[in-house]
Amino acid sequence: MFASIFIPHFPVQSLVRNEPELSGKAIAVVHSDAGDPALQKVVEANVAAIRAGVEPGMTRLRLQHFPEVTIRQRSVAQENSAHAALLDCAGGFSPRVEDTAHDSVLMDLEGLERLFGSYAEIAAHIYDQAILIGLQPQVAVASNPDAAICASRGFQGTRVIPCGMERRQLASIPLTLLTAEPPFLETMNRWGLHTFGDFAALPPVKISERLGQDGVRLHTCARGTSMRPLDPHKEPLRFEETMELDDAIAMLEPLRFILKRLVDQICHRLRMRHRATHEVHVRLNAYERVLQLPMPVCDSKMLVELLMLDLESHPPKAAVTKVSVEAIPAKPRSVQNGLFVPLSPEPEKLEVTLARIAHVVGKGNVGSPEVLDTHRPDAFRVSRFDSMKPAAATASSFPSLALRRFRPPLEATVKSRNGAPWWIAFQGFFGPITTASGPWKSSGEWWQQDHWAREEWDVRVRTEKGLLLFRIYCDPNNGCWFAEGVYD
Amino acid sequence: MISPALRAQLESSFSRRVRETVSTGIAALDSRTGGLPRGAITEIYGSGSSGKTSLMLSILSAAMDRDEACALVDGHDSFSPGIHSGKFLWVRCHNLTQALKSTDLLLQGGGFGVVALDVSDLDGKALQEVPLSTWFRFQRSIEKTPTILTIVSGMGIAKTCASLAIRAASDFEFEDRLLAHSVTRAEIVRLRSSAGFQPGFKNVCFNFYPSFSRSIARP
Repeated sequence: MFASIFIPHFPVQSLVRNEPELSGKAIAVVHSDAGDPALQKVVEANVAAIRAGVEPGMTRLRLQHFPEVTIRQRSVAQENSAHAALLDCAGGFSPRVEDTAHDSVLMDLEGLERLFGSYAEIAAHIYDQAILIGLQPQVAVASNPDAAICASRGFQGTRVIPCGMERRQLASIPLTLLTAEPPFLETMNRWGLHTFGDFAALPPVKISERLGQDGVRLHTCARGTSMRPLDPHKEPLRFEETMELDDAIAMLEPLRFILKRLVDQICHRLRMRHRATHEVHVRLNAYERVLQLPMPVCDSKMLVELLMLDLESHPPKAAVTKVSVEAIPAKPRSVQNGLFVPLSPEPEKLEVTLARIAHVVGKGNVGSPEVLDTHRPDAFRVSRFDSMKPAAATASSFPSLALRRFRPPLEATVKSRNGAPWWIAFQGFFGPITTASGPWKSSGEWWQQDHWAREEWDVRVRTEKGLLLFRIYCDPNNGCWFAEGVYD
Repeated sequence: MISPALRAQLESSFSRRVRETVSTGIAALDSRTGGLPRGAITEIYGSGSSGKTSLMLSILSAAMDRDEACALVDGHDSFSPGIHSGKFLWVRCHNLTQALKSTDLLLQGGGFGVVALDVSDLDGKALQEVPLSTWFRFQRSIEKTPTILTIVSGMGIAKTCASLAIRAASDFEFEDRLLAHSVTRAEIVRLRSSAGFQPGFKNVCFNFYPSFSRSIARP
């Protein structure tokens, strides 16, 4: 058995999918190949607009006589997104899916009864999933691909055609749904044939004589006896949602609502494919930002929060007319929890916390310190914090004396006697040095331009604030003294 | 006249919840305080070179040895990276506002064993002007969690919000003009709700030793 999902008025539905507030209104989609607004014509209208009097091919000028009809520009990008979502919807049920047309997909239901129940229940499940991705579908199940496609185009809601009943059930469908070729439809009209049933009643030999092989193929479809194999869709998974805006957005806050809609759609599609994402690309016109995540996630609320924090730190330079979000799929993270797992933040929650902190203190100021492989003092880099990192062996078994660093080191005035410092003054501190331990000489990277050399001293200084122990050093190249930090 | 059985039942019903405590990494201090209470604020304060930073790093090291995630909100970007590895998050702030916001976010996010807020080098007047409600909010954030918030400062700022307050003071021992170790004297200023612990002495002394490079260079 095969199931076909058909989306009637597809250009309209692909727009309503990203603008749910348009749902229930009369909508006409206009388009012009030349791009001139005056030459725009109606390419698609929903049922409400057709009832109001709108017809395909009507010019935009004439549409002004229908104030109740909402006019929207055709968006090929949004149609592509809706089509990809439709494929994901079908892919969530069956591994064998055919990309039949932009507005319809076909899938093989072989073996799905064990998972979802009867064919009527499968059709209902498919219908519900399509509603969740924002599309109002027509679903039909039949024993052969063409019968399923024709039935999905001809019947609203869901329809299951039992095996052997195809011809009888398809009989009432208008012939205009069989093919869009004008010569064929004109011939049928001339012969006085208007439904599948009328056409199916003609003898096949006579059809072959008058209409050729194409006619025979259409006749077989109308009788519901076409037997062709399903052509499986083999494109790689691509999760991209696009929204083209009529008015440009200059503020970030309105962008949040658009991003939320797009990310919600993407997360839903990812869940249907049993996937998550670890990399999200946001394109605002030509401006692009990439959000890298340490683990695959599929939480739209969290992704929107991270994207907004990133955009607040790196806002686009111009107003936005087109928003596109693409998620790179990855296998979802699976974690075995335990009662005795050490205390650690939830990775998803942690990402948002770190992004918020980075927004406050700057991106390079949050992370795990990593000492560089060099003898240069205070050489480190800040790497990404990993809450899954295992505990490392403790470097020392005894409590260490901490040094509070002055960044950058403070220039100091030091008086020396017999090669040892005896008085110091720097930024608010001054006084005699009661004990000096040193010098500890070190140097390095003499082969580079920024080579360094220093003579370190640990000095106990009697100041107004009591006895303090500082680490100071002298640069032998220029004789300058610096206070590097205070032991605390 | 209330019966002894009823009294015992009432006392057990209304007795204060005993908090779990963890080690500071210094046995002498643990024996006096019973350890750091989870879900509470511990405050360590003292003047410059008093050993408060060494004590804070010891608490963080002990937590990392337990494989817990730790965070240091460094109010004046003065932390010197070195011995700390594992699940250690370092937030380099440059003013008090950044430090308080970052701490708030970390506590709200949850999941950390120890969050240390180091505001030692920040302006004392600005610290005194931080409303008590800020520390109270921090305390409420961690109240029913296993997180320990350690505040390190030049003066006592968390006041009654801290369950354990330690005032530190140090002296340094030199041997033949070489820095041997620091002798830190910790005065337990406030101690609340420890698991059956009865403090006998308020002061405790312990040593911190200089880094490995200094020790190995000793003659």
